[in-house]
Amino acid sequence: MTLVLIVALVTGAILCGIGVYGALSQTNLVMIMMGVELILAGALVNLVAFWRFLHPESYSGQMFVLVVMTVMAVEMAVGFGVAIARFRAKGSVEMEEAGDLKG
Amino acid sequence: MYAQAFFVAVFGLAAIGFGVVVFRTSSMVRSALALLFSQTAVGCMFLAMQTEFLGVLQIMMMATEMSIMAIFMVMFMMDPGGMGGMDMTHQKRFSIGAGVVAAGVAIVVAFWADWGPVTAEAPDAAMQTRALGMELLGRSMLIFETAGITILTAMIAATAVAIPVQTTANSADKEDTE
Amino acid sequence: MNFVIVLLALLGSVWLLAVVEGWTTTGRLRPAAPLLSGLAHLGRESIVPRTPDRVFFETAPVLLLIVAVLGAAVLPLAPTLVIADLATGALFINAALAYVLVALIMAGWGPNGAYAMIGGWRFLGQLIAYAMLIVMPITAVAMRAESLVTTVIVVSQDGLWNIVYQPLGFVLFFIAAMALAFRAPFDLPTAPGELGGGVDAEYTGVRLAVLRLARLTLVITLASATTVFYLGGWHGPLLPPWAWSLIKTLAVAVSMLLAGRYLPRIREADLMRWCWTLGIPLALLNIIVVGLLVLVVP
Repeated sequence: MTLVLIVALVTGAILCGIGVYGALSQTNLVMIMMGVELILAGALVNLVAFWRFLHPESYSGQMFVLVVMTVMAVEMAVGFGVAIARFRAKGSVEMEEAGDLKG
Repeated sequence: MYAQAFFVAVFGLAAIGFGVVVFRTSSMVRSALALLFSQTAVGCMFLAMQTEFLGVLQIMMMATEMSIMAIFMVMFMMDPGGMGGMDMTHQKRFSIGAGVVAAGVAIVVAFWADWGPVTAEAPDAAMQTRALGMELLGRSMLIFETAGITILTAMIAATAVAIPVQTTANSADKEDTE
Repeated sequence: MNFVIVLLALLGSVWLLAVVEGWTTTGRLRPAAPLLSGLAHLGRESIVPRTPDRVFFETAPVLLLIVAVLGAAVLPLAPTLVIADLATGALFINAALAYVLVALIMAGWGPNGAYAMIGGWRFLGQLIAYAMLIVMPITAVAMRAESLVTTVIVVSQDGLWNIVYQPLGFVLFFIAAMALAFRAPFDLPTAPGELGGGVDAEYTGVRLAVLRLARLTLVITLASATTVFYLGGWHGPLLPPWAWSLIKTLAVAVSMLLAGRYLPRIREADLMRWCWTLGIPLALLNIIVVGLLVLVVP
């Protein structure tokens, strides 16, 4: 059974890697959020695999998956709120044009 | 066991494939929907790992979430159709390095760590739903309620941030924002 | 075996609904009309618009059809006549029907046409209005049955159907189901009068035939869901269980059709306002009332 666990963990790791690449390389706020979503998806895969193969008797694992899904939704809501405000104020949500956010 | 490994691997490959498409395509709607199908494949992985409730929930939530992502992409990107061939990336080499390092470290750990005994039998799906409900409204109730309050706070905060600011100078000619 | 029977029942209901739809619009009862018009569509040229997003354009009608059939897969026609009696059936149908939105956005974006695109994005707004009114009444139904399994939900209505037990939930679910199936008063994404067909506009020939079939299947799936959740599913005297399921499903589908014929199309802003300021408080009230009833009534 360790085989399935390893397969799931490798998938989670690769998803996380793609997400890190996307979050760092994209210039648009919405695209960066998509990268973050992929990182969280990788985390979700790992969490479910850990719950299923290591601790199926403890439902705190599934609980944590629900919390991560909440985080995904919250990230979307706040991100889009910031994006709208930024777009209204500056006319773009490009990172290259957001140098004024540097301290 | 091999059947399960096969299905987890197939859906995993689908998730990775769509995940790559997200950053490879220049059409923004395609990008958002590729992310959606990547997340759906992740949900199918949950189903393959006999975690029925979470899998169905993931598949349900992501459909709406990523479709909303799609319309925001179209609103905020300079070139949503991807017909203009604009390059929307920066610091590519560093990003690829960071991505490879992140994935590589996690994979190495996955192979090296001693995971101990692995359980073969998953609880029955109906039992899982019941036990998760008991967990949510029992021991983890406080966490669950906190998550709910967090969503409420985020909704209010996002709305407050997104509502246009009314300055006294031009509030007279901005009545249509009402 | 169950799979084939349920699929045939679905097809038969779609055919009957199409006949009734033709009857109410043209005034003539022609049982062969749906088949003939389907065949005619197969013979016509299927035009692909200029610079389409080919993947979306081809996938959208098929995805809509698959989603409608998947939704029907968890709905029982009789105690054992169900394709997949999932432990999370009532959640699964939500998950399947959420992809109606994805199919419509694809159909809107794919053909590279202005009307189609507006229709697709309109449905996103429509989803934000109706989504809660699908989920919250189902929550109340699951509360009474103390289960998400659709067969258990039907069994829980033995003696007293949910339409009597929670009429408020039924009304909200019925309206939301019409909005989800984009039937007449809520047909914002297609809007024949103002959008020139909307998401349908650029589809012709075989693809249009699949799209039409998918829309009718979606209506039947939602009518079947209403039957299972509120009208006691297969319960009924004399006739065999599957017959009751089919009769109730068709009755709900036809009533959706008739409701659409006599109501004007609603504006998107009004739909949103009424759903959020009136619909969601009522749905919450419904949940509270059902919770109290479940606790008080043995």
